[in-house]
Amino acid sequence: MTVRPSASHNLMIRKLESIVSLSDEEKQALRGLPIQVTSLKTDSDIVRVGDRPSHSFLLVAGFTCVYKLTAEGKRQIVAFHVPGDMPDLHSLHLKVMDTSMATVTPCTIGFIQHEALIQICDRYPRISAAFWRETLVDASIFREWMTGIGRREAYNRMAHLLCEFQVRLSAVGLAEDDTFDLPITQTELADAIGASNVHVNRILQELRANGLIRTSGTQVNVPDWQKLKEAGDFDPLYLHLRQD
Amino acid sequence: MTLTFQSVRVATEYDEEGMLVFNGNRRLVAVLTRLSEQNEIAPGQWFLEAGFGRLGGISHPTFANLETAQVWINQRLVHQN
Repeated sequence: MTVRPSASHNLMIRKLESIVSLSDEEKQALRGLPIQVTSLKTDSDIVRVGDRPSHSFLLVAGFTCVYKLTAEGKRQIVAFHVPGDMPDLHSLHLKVMDTSMATVTPCTIGFIQHEALIQICDRYPRISAAFWRETLVDASIFREWMTGIGRREAYNRMAHLLCEFQVRLSAVGLAEDDTFDLPITQTELADAIGASNVHVNRILQELRANGLIRTSGTQVNVPDWQKLKEAGDFDPLYLHLRQD
Repeated sequence: MTLTFQSVRVATEYDEEGMLVFNGNRRLVAVLTRLSEQNEIAPGQWFLEAGFGRLGGISHPTFANLETAQVWINQRLVHQN
């Protein structure tokens, strides 16, 4: 199904506008991008290491992760993505995938052909810059996670990750009153922060006991944003959100 | 290798019932804790809380009982990684 213009386009524009400003003409051009929308179940691979995709995808709904497997079969999740993100935008220029990407919840995905992305980038240099910036922010997130995995305690890493979700989901209107939906399993959180799932379970209990989070089902509420930020050693600078 | 176990209380602040695991030379190789029956992840199972030497990597598996823990620890001690 090709949808245009649609909620998917508006979400992509909202996300890009959280990091750059776009003119009406540029937004109109983005609304003309053909997007093939599809639904995927939880734990579906979207792209795998070694793939040579001819399209990139826009995450329309749900959560996805970027992961690598070790020779032993252990998984390291190196990033999560939230609606509005274009997780494999870099495959436009790096032809062979060096990581895999999978859904961690049921997802709606919009595929955009590389050819269409190249055309819009050729015509609109500022859209090209916006896409470039999007991939640069992804790289910044990897650097921040690497610092955490190497040097922060697991408790602080988890607090940091929750802060990151809050800020990224807020940027696309998916967090309200310091509450957001986080339908991610403890095993996935463990694979992301590089701890065992037993440790992650204890950390979540500790965060709750310390009053840093309240949880109800998959809903996470942050009663004291400042305290969670301090626990996570969190400075949102690395997300490079627009200040104006 | 004959492993020996010694009960211990561990200050994890969660699951206190623990077991020190010694190798045949009476050197401490691991600390196991028994997760409570209420644990959401692996209720009632034994968890590798800490390992030393060849067990000192990033793996923290859980085991259904002490026998399976013993098999896993022995395999790790015999084979490099």
